[in-house]
Amino acid sequence: MSQDHPASPVELLVARTLLTGGLVGIALILLGLGLYAGHGGFHQHVLQLSRPAGGNPPGVFVSVRQVVDGLRHRPLDPLAVTALGLLLLMVTPIIAVALSIPAFLRAGDRRYATIAAIVLTMLVVSLIAAGGVH
Amino acid sequence: MDLTVFSVAVLLTAVGAGVVGAILGLGGGILLIPILTLFFGVDLHYAMGASIISVIATSSGAAASYLRTGLSNLRVGLFLVMATISGAFLGAFLAGVVPVRVLELILGLALSYSAFTTIRQLHDELPEGVPDDPLALRFDLEGRYHDLRLGRHVSYRAQRVAGGFAAMFGAGLLSGMLGIGSGAFKVLAMDYLMRLPMKVSTATSNFMIGLTAAASAGIYFGRGDIHALIVAPVAIGVLGGAYLGTMLMARMQNTTVRKLFLPIVVYLALSMILRGLGIHLL
Repeated sequence: MSQDHPASPVELLVARTLLTGGLVGIALILLGLGLYAGHGGFHQHVLQLSRPAGGNPPGVFVSVRQVVDGLRHRPLDPLAVTALGLLLLMVTPIIAVALSIPAFLRAGDRRYATIAAIVLTMLVVSLIAAGGVH
Repeated sequence: MDLTVFSVAVLLTAVGAGVVGAILGLGGGILLIPILTLFFGVDLHYAMGASIISVIATSSGAAASYLRTGLSNLRVGLFLVMATISGAFLGAFLAGVVPVRVLELILGLALSYSAFTTIRQLHDELPEGVPDDPLALRFDLEGRYHDLRLGRHVSYRAQRVAGGFAAMFGAGLLSGMLGIGSGAFKVLAMDYLMRLPMKVSTATSNFMIGLTAAASAGIYFGRGDIHALIVAPVAIGVLGGAYLGTMLMARMQNTTVRKLFLPIVVYLALSMILRGLGIHLL
């Protein structure tokens, strides 16, 4: 730990994970929007800002499966690429906590490896209880 | 609305929300939801979905920078977030059982008191004469950062850890029951109860809000509240704005951050009291 870098290796790892997840997520979001614009999406589509009564408008995905289907579909659904970027953003903090567990152990900090494991469990349980991972 | 115009306008708004969120340790929902719904006419559900993604994006952008410079305290964040998430989880179950308006009134009064104490310590740059809390020593709730404004290293140690932990649980419980963000409460608990430097409080809150938002983002996603075309410009703008905000905040005085934070507390206090009385600002 030098004078100018008060951050520990664990903190640097978490910082790097958050930044990488954020940037890759944004890159996918932009790629999807770019493809969508390339298909003329920005011209033909007047954005519907209110929620329709039945069904979801283009751009709304409610499950991981729908996003995957949109990515597999040919021609590719460009908004599924954007949704993939959003999903990556959503799980980035959870990945960061997961990666911190072995990093705390390497630093010999069992107490915080345990605390990070508890936080990770809570996050995963909340996600499953929310029904967002079907 | 024309999609290109909408995207650019929302992107610029989101940059502003990201800057403010990164400096004050909030997700920016407090700014984004009213602007998206009232100004752009976005459906409230989509606005809330955009807000939850904005919280995560602010947190990722800001915490990445704050963790490197030591302003975010990873241990303090992980320790306290255990309380917030369990509180939010219980709160989601209790929602609908407990009379909401009574809660809102109590919360509004508690926030008014917080605003009052914030005014009283408006000119305290750093907490002084902090006695050692055995829990802080046991859980290593201390740290050091280089303050660019003061031009020196600042060391700090948490005080009243049990009280802070309980307040974080309460903040989670309320946000779960009332469906409001808890960034402001996290900052108040760390600043006022645990006596961490204000900048450390908002920076650590920035790390924590990403975790609590990630825990509930699945609900919004599954409900169909996350609209890629609305959320995309928000996420991009907020992430960029948050990074900009971290550079500004690192150079600010603790007292400046607290002064900027005060109007948010006053606004929250007033809107909660009004909601308790049956008047919704939004």
